[in-house]
Amino acid sequence: MARTPFRRNRAAGFDVVLEAGEAAVLTRLCEELTTLLADDEPGDEPAPAADPVLERLFPRAYLDPTEEEAESEWQRLVHGDLVDGRRRALATVEGTLAGAQLRRGRYELTLSGEQAQAWLAVLNDARLALGTRLEVTEDMDLSGLDPDDPDTAPFAVYWWLGVLEEALIDVLSRSS
Amino acid sequence: MTAPLETPTIVEPDIDETVDVARPWVVVVWNDPVNLMSYVVYVFQKLFGYSKEKATKLMLDVHHKGKAAVSSGNREQAETDVSRLHAHGLWATMERD
Repeated sequence: MARTPFRRNRAAGFDVVLEAGEAAVLTRLCEELTTLLADDEPGDEPAPAADPVLERLFPRAYLDPTEEEAESEWQRLVHGDLVDGRRRALATVEGTLAGAQLRRGRYELTLSGEQAQAWLAVLNDARLALGTRLEVTEDMDLSGLDPDDPDTAPFAVYWWLGVLEEALIDVLSRSS
Repeated sequence: MTAPLETPTIVEPDIDETVDVARPWVVVVWNDPVNLMSYVVYVFQKLFGYSKEKATKLMLDVHHKGKAAVSSGNREQAETDVSRLHAHGLWATMERD
């Protein structure tokens, strides 16, 4: 991905260009995250088995076990909002991807500032989910992996998401 | 002449002076192997209005020391900051100062 996928445009938004394969992978990751969040309906009884990805996306607020009551109350107050926020961001990304124009084999779309924030949130959530599943460590060197090797493909996707997110942060930081 | 006043007894208030009573809770962000350093800096600036320098220093504390206190306040303020950090995918907890 030598080119810059995100560029600031004159309408205070961002132009995005993705290879067809990149758009397909993002769409699939959005679907997987949406499915994951659908399994996390508040009020489910009994509580679903702990999924490390859900635990990573929705951690505890209180580490102190004597604050269990405050933790439960906080979870009751905010968990639904946190799930809804993630669902809204996913819907934004899926909607903008679905509306992309195919030109010369690449997908082009534009994002408002608000939509770009949703993209950032989803790219980060996708990395958190995939990184947790793959049990990545800080020391792993994931550059140069073959995306067509079934053993390393998920790691290559994880690495590519990082490159994409880094590019988006770069353009957001420079425009703020 | 009036009788001398009794020596007043000074009662030391029972306050732990190491705790700022107005900001008894601190919000801690923990290191994790996934979040990008640039992302953590960006989120600290966005959520707390910190300068790039302050946000970068906090991020480096998280990265090198494993955690950093990023904000403080009463219980409600700390709970709000924790939920905003969780909404942005950062691993944050709160504890008494």
